[in-house]
Amino acid sequence: MTKMQRPQDVDLWRKTIEEKKKSNIKTVRVCAGAGCSAKDSTDLYGLISNTVKEDAASTGSDESAEVISVGCHGLCAMGPIVVIQPDDVLYHGVQESDVEEIYRETIVGSRIIDRLLYEDPKTNEKAQNEESIPFYQSQKRIVLSEIGKIDPKEIEAYILTGGYRGLTKALGEMSPVDVVDEVEKSGLRGRGGAGFSTARKWRSCRLANADDKYVICNGDEGDPDAHSDRAIMEGNPHLVIEGLIIGGYAVGAGRGYIYVRNEYTVAVEYLNNAIKQANESGFLGEDILGSGFSFDIKISRGGGAFVSGESTAVIASLEGYAGEPRARFTRTVENGLRGMPTVLNNVETWANIPHIVNNGGDWLSKVGTDGSKGTKALSLEGDIRNAGVVEVPMGTPLRQIVDEIGGGIKNDRECKAVRTGGPSGGCIPATKFDIPVDFDEFTRLGSTMGSGGMLVFDEDSCMVNAARASLEFLRDESCGKCTSCREGTAQMHHILSRITTGDGTEGDVEALLELASLTADTSLCALGQTAANPVLSTIEHFRDEYQTHIAEKRCPAKECKGMFLFKIIAPACTGCTVCARNCPVDAIAGERKQLHVIDQDICTSCGACYEKCRFDAILKV
Amino acid sequence: MVPAVRIDDVTVNVKEGRSILDAAKMAGIWIPTLCHNPALKSEGTCRLCVVEAVGEEGRSLVTACNYPIHQDIAVSVAGDRATRAREGVMKLLLARSPESEELKDLAKKMGVNGTPYPSVTESQRSCILCGLCVVVCEEAIGVSAIGFAGKSVNRTVAAPFRQPSEDCIACGACAAVCPVGTIQVRIYEETGEAEISPFKSRKKLLVCNECGKNMVAEPVAAQMIDRVDFNWDEFRDLARICPDCRRKRAAKSLGYVDGLVSR
Repeated sequence: MTKMQRPQDVDLWRKTIEEKKKSNIKTVRVCAGAGCSAKDSTDLYGLISNTVKEDAASTGSDESAEVISVGCHGLCAMGPIVVIQPDDVLYHGVQESDVEEIYRETIVGSRIIDRLLYEDPKTNEKAQNEESIPFYQSQKRIVLSEIGKIDPKEIEAYILTGGYRGLTKALGEMSPVDVVDEVEKSGLRGRGGAGFSTARKWRSCRLANADDKYVICNGDEGDPDAHSDRAIMEGNPHLVIEGLIIGGYAVGAGRGYIYVRNEYTVAVEYLNNAIKQANESGFLGEDILGSGFSFDIKISRGGGAFVSGESTAVIASLEGYAGEPRARFTRTVENGLRGMPTVLNNVETWANIPHIVNNGGDWLSKVGTDGSKGTKALSLEGDIRNAGVVEVPMGTPLRQIVDEIGGGIKNDRECKAVRTGGPSGGCIPATKFDIPVDFDEFTRLGSTMGSGGMLVFDEDSCMVNAARASLEFLRDESCGKCTSCREGTAQMHHILSRITTGDGTEGDVEALLELASLTADTSLCALGQTAANPVLSTIEHFRDEYQTHIAEKRCPAKECKGMFLFKIIAPACTGCTVCARNCPVDAIAGERKQLHVIDQDICTSCGACYEKCRFDAILKV
Repeated sequence: MVPAVRIDDVTVNVKEGRSILDAAKMAGIWIPTLCHNPALKSEGTCRLCVVEAVGEEGRSLVTACNYPIHQDIAVSVAGDRATRAREGVMKLLLARSPESEELKDLAKKMGVNGTPYPSVTESQRSCILCGLCVVVCEEAIGVSAIGFAGKSVNRTVAAPFRQPSEDCIACGACAAVCPVGTIQVRIYEETGEAEISPFKSRKKLLVCNECGKNMVAEPVAAQMIDRVDFNWDEFRDLARICPDCRRKRAAKSLGYVDGLVSR
C-alpha cells in the first residue's frame, strides 16, 4: 500500500482503483451481518467462493465472479441474503443447497431464480432488487449507504465509494473551525441517546485549554434491542475511523479511542484491520496528508456491561478502572479522559461526519425535522415481520416504520406498542403511532430515542410483563454503586413480579409511581435516572392492564402464566390425546376420540398442551 | 471569589470549590450523610444527602457531600422535594439493612419511622455498599486490600477472590469509617492476631517489648516506620513498645519517679 503524501494523492489512488476494477465479471455479495451469520452465511460464503474457484479450475477459464463477504443488508429476518451484481438481484433465505443452482443459473447464466426472490406478503409480488422491496423504499440510507455493498476488510473498496474524501477536504481546504461550523450547520445531534448538539460539544472541547485532548467513539452499544452501531462497525469500519480523524482535527486532539464491547469480535477485528490500513495509507499517524496534523487511534475493548456505555463509565473503563459511572459536576468536554478535554460521541454520530464534511452541513440539515436533523439508524426487533436494521429520515412517523418498512406484525396480529430506547426507554402505544422519529417528540411521550432500538409488541404482549422484563434487565445491569438505582430498580422489579404472578395488591401502582420518581430523581447516573421510563410509560398508557392484573387477578393479554386459564373447546378437539400425553402434571383427562378436559385445580398453566395441540382446540381464556 | 450560598434561609460565604455540605455545616444546617467522611474523597454513592440546587439550568437534586460550589447558588435542604427524596433513600436503605442499629438511629433523627418496602436485596451484615472502606483502604492507607466484587444487587465489598487478603495490614481503618458497623476488628488473644471481619484477613499483632501487651498489627507498624523519613535506632526501638510504656520511659528520662506517673 502506498502512503498518501498530499490530499490530491487520494484522488489519484481512487482513479487507479477505478481503472483496475473495470471488468465485466459479476460480483456476488454474501451478507455477513449479525443476523445472516447467525444463519451460517459464513459457510455459505465459503461454499459460493469455492464453487466459483473450482469451476474456473476445472474449465481452465477465469473465475466467473468475484465473491465478497459484506456487512449487514438490514433485512435480517429474511437472511441469509445474497446479492448478485450487475443487476443487484437480491436472494433471501439462501441455503447451502441453493448454491449450485445460483451458480449455474444466475452467476453463469444471468437468469433469475424466482423462488429465492423477496415476495411482498400483501401483494404477493416478487421483487428483484432492493429498490423494489418496500422495506428499502421508505428508507434513506446515509450512514448505512455503503454497508452491504463493499468489502469491509478492503480500504480500496471504501476509497472507491468516495471514502476519505471528507478527510482530504477537511485537511486540505478547511480550518478546524470551518469543520466545527459545518457540523453546526448540519444540526447533528448525538446519536447515543441524549441527543446533545454535536457541534456545541466540539466547540467547547476546541476552546478548552489543555495540553492533551481526546476524541472517543463509543461503540459499547449496551442496549439489547439495538445493533445498528454494530452493523456500521462491521460493515464499514473506515467510515467511523474517518469521522474520528476529522473530529480529532476539528477539536485539536492527537489521539482517538474506539471503545467496543468485547462480544463484538468481528467489529474489533475489522476496526483493527481498518486502522492498520489507514496507518499504512497515511490517513493516520504523523503529518497526515502533509497537513501537519498527527493523529492515532487505539481500540479499547469493554467487558460488555450495559452501564459501561454511560459516558463517565466509558472514561473510567478507558482509564483502566471498572466501567462504573462517576459523580460528575464538570463536563466531559472540559474534564474527560485523564482529566483532559474529551469529545465522546457514539458510532453513528461519527459515521455522519465524513458525509457532512463531504457534502456540506446544509445537505444534512435538509433532511429531518426542525429539532432533529438527518437520519436515524434503527433496529427493528420483536413481533415485527422485517426485523433488522433500517435508516430513516428524522420525522418519519412510527406507523410508517412499523407498517411499511417493518412489513407489519408477524402472524397478522395487531400492534400494541413499541419500546424505543431499549430497556430504559418507554413504551409508545399504537394509538400514538403518528409520532415522528424525533428526539424531542419521543421525550414528550415519556420515552427516549436511545441508540435506536425499537422493540415491537403485538396484541398478545402484556405491558406489565414488558415493564417487569425491562426492570429485571435494569436491576441486573445496574452497577450497584448508588443506593437509589440498586435498591430502587430491585424494589420496582419486586412489585412488578408480584403483579404479574397474581399477587398484586391495591396501592401497588401508587408505590411504583413513588419508587419511579425516587429512582429517577436521586440516582447517580443515567441508568438509574431513566430506569423509571418503562414503569411510568406503561402506567400512563396501559394503566387498565395494571388494574386488571391487580383487581381481577387476570392478565388481559394472556401472557402472565397463572393469570389466565387453558381450556379445550368442544368442536375443535378431536380426542387425539396429544395434550394429555404431554401434560407434565396429568391434569388432562379424556378418552381417545372424545373431548378432553383440563382439571383446573391441577393445571400449572405451563402451556405444554397449548403448544402441542395441532387443531387449535386449546384456548387461553 | 467567595461565592454566597443561600441554604434555606441562611446565607453563608464559602471558599470556591467547597461542597454544599461544607456550606451547610457553616450555616448550622444538618444534612444526613452515610458515605461521607471529611478525610476522604466523596463518591456520593449513598445518595442520602441529596438537596435541591437552584441553578441556571433549573432545579435539580444533587448530593450535598460532593457538589462543588463555583458561584452563588441557592440550595433547599428542608424543601418538600429534597426531604422526600432523602426520606425515600433512607427507606430503601432500611429495607436493605433492617438490622443495623446505626441506620435506625439515623433514620429516627431524620424523622423516618421504618420502611414500607420489603427486603429484596441481601446485605452482607447490614452493609449498605457506601464504599467508604474501599476508599479509605486505597486513598488513606494506600493498600487497596478490598474492593467491590460483583455488580447490581450482588455487589459486595470483598478482598480478591473472597479470600483472606495478603495485602491487608489489619489496620482497621475500614472498620473505623464504616457507618453501619459491618466491618469489625476482632482480636484473638490466644494466637495474638487481629482479624478484619468479614474479610477474614488475619495479621499477627505486635507485642510490647516491655509489658507484653498487644499493640497494632505488625504490618501497620512496619508501614508507619516506612512512612517517616527519619529512621534511627531509638525510633525503631520506641516503635516496638506500647504508648503506656513509652510514656513511662519518657517520664523516667525526665527524672520523674514511678509514683508520679499518672495512672
